[in-house]
Amino acid sequence: MNERESLFRRLAAACGGHGAPAGEPSPGRATVAPDGDPVARFAETFTAAGGFLLRGPAESATADLGEMLRAEGVTALFFPEDDPEAREVAEALVPFGPFHLTTGAEVRGGSGAVTAGFRTAEAAIAESGTIVETSVGGKTLLPGLIADVHVSIVRDASVVARMDEALAAFTADPPRNISFLSGPSKTADIEQTLTVGAHGPKKAIALLLPPKCAQHE
Amino acid sequence: MKLDSNAFGRNARKALQDKTLQEALGRTTMRFQAHRNAAAAALPEFEAERERASRIKRDVLDHLDTYLARFIEAAEKKGAIVHVARDAAQAREIAARIAREEGVTLAVKSKSMASEEVSLNGALQEAGVTVVESDLGEFIIQLAGESPSHIIAPAVHKTREQVSRLFERHLGEPPTDSIPALVGMARRHLRSKFLSAGMGVSGGNFLVADTGSVVLVTNEGNGRMGTILPRVHLAVVGIEKVLPRMADLPTFLRLLPRSASGQTISSYVSIVTGARRAGDPEGPERMHILLLDCGRSAILEGKYREILKCVRCAACLNVCPVYQSVGGHAYGWVYSGPIGAVLTPLLVGLPEAAALPDASTLCGACADVCPVKIPLPDFLLELRSDVREQGLKTPGEVAAMKGYAGVMKRAGLLEAIERIAGVLGQFFTKGKGIAGLPYPFSGWTERRDFPAPAAQPFRKRWKIRRGARGDTR
Repeated sequence: MNERESLFRRLAAACGGHGAPAGEPSPGRATVAPDGDPVARFAETFTAAGGFLLRGPAESATADLGEMLRAEGVTALFFPEDDPEAREVAEALVPFGPFHLTTGAEVRGGSGAVTAGFRTAEAAIAESGTIVETSVGGKTLLPGLIADVHVSIVRDASVVARMDEALAAFTADPPRNISFLSGPSKTADIEQTLTVGAHGPKKAIALLLPPKCAQHE
Repeated sequence: MKLDSNAFGRNARKALQDKTLQEALGRTTMRFQAHRNAAAAALPEFEAERERASRIKRDVLDHLDTYLARFIEAAEKKGAIVHVARDAAQAREIAARIAREEGVTLAVKSKSMASEEVSLNGALQEAGVTVVESDLGEFIIQLAGESPSHIIAPAVHKTREQVSRLFERHLGEPPTDSIPALVGMARRHLRSKFLSAGMGVSGGNFLVADTGSVVLVTNEGNGRMGTILPRVHLAVVGIEKVLPRMADLPTFLRLLPRSASGQTISSYVSIVTGARRAGDPEGPERMHILLLDCGRSAILEGKYREILKCVRCAACLNVCPVYQSVGGHAYGWVYSGPIGAVLTPLLVGLPEAAALPDASTLCGACADVCPVKIPLPDFLLELRSDVREQGLKTPGEVAAMKGYAGVMKRAGLLEAIERIAGVLGQFFTKGKGIAGLPYPFSGWTERRDFPAPAAQPFRKRWKIRRGARGDTR
């Protein structure tokens, strides 16, 4: 008998005769009720988690975003090649810099520049102020992982009230990585003093944009 | 990790004399407690979610064989390589073999109590791997050559000055008293390790049976980096961490951060399923999942099975008056506070940790805050019985308890002793406290006076009072 079989023999003996058969519907239902307008709620919770929120359209928010990035000392901007919205926002920022465009590979290779990583969020969760990014379809996670500042582009329509809704799409076949990002990287490991930027982004910015059709009307 | 739980008394005395530790403990536990209470109060459904989480966990334990088999099948379908370890020695052997076969020389590790349980770092180091702890608190205590003293705040006992001295000595950094500067130093040092490590080692807060996913909850982001950047990911997780469905996860993601640190949600939640897929631009080429039994199946079989519901939030530590006074190292192993006082004897064997069930006032605060409703005080009491039944009490303790029981069973004898003690107490102490008792009772008067017996025993006063009121009860 191998170790796995031996484990399951022990578990079967320990579990024998308990309760209803497994695989029944979840015991009890989720109880957290959505709170009003999810977009307004997300704005509150994302800020409470330590994030900074800018409201679009993109053109009008660009100057503010440029100012925020300059204040952080950002000089290099990068975005996924397959993310046209992130590209659009990053490229529009260049005149507000001293910013130059770079790639995730260069940043990963150890670029010394202070970087901002741009990426379109797949969803945002109102109850917790969370940006959802996944590797579905081969999307990169580097902008929210190794950049000094992470800029998430969030469409109003992608904001959901609860975590349950954000995860519902992944119950059958999840991608390799689903990441919930709520504010900047934090630590309180030294004297319980909250400090940002332990490993990941020191600043998390959400650029909240109206639906594309509304933006162009 | 070296087991020293039966030295709880000696360790506790040492901790009580450590002024730095006492300040740190007071500051940390009070803050965690206040934040936890505020976060719980801000979520009207908090109690309902606790109830739901408890039910889900109970269902998991009742059918752990089914859910674990489902998890393994799903994880392997997604390309993960699943290993099973019966005990710590086997876990170390498997981890070392993985490292050797994968040709790993540098590993970055995120915080994992399960890996501490089996002393994983030592095994990897023996296999020629340099292991770098990446959680800031764990990194600090690794440099100091110490063990964690709190589940979610492992370096709670270190001051900024001590951290600066460690960074000066080990990283060559200049001295500073700025905490952001210290965090920046660790960030720079550890970033280079993340970018060059061959393997990321993580624990796992939850396993999702239906999808084969490992769920990591962190605030710093080191868990994300270690599971995305290195070419190999090894997750070391206890078998009891399974949840049936992805749909069960939100309940636990609401409870865990609120109970641990009072956050609505931790900064990062990573749900990782298998190795890198075709077309993924990053992620490990291979994912190994090392499932630990290490005594859990034996616990599942017995009367303490609900201890396996624990989500390692540490809320019970922060409210425990004993933990607040002595900190984590006094418990002499990986787990401390009320959860440690129950779990350690069950995992390592009662004779090895018989002192721990006594490390509690049985005030019940731990049960009040436990997000999955583990009856910790009941278990502590039950373990004390087991200690007695297994003959692990000293003859002196047994005799003393027998004597105490003998008196308490006889009301007349108790009353007589109270009267004599009252008279003698008043005569010798003039109503003041007793400043020094002889051995073996001297411990009670080492740091404070023992109250003098009352001139009039409570029961006599009660009778008089009742008589005055005309109460016939």
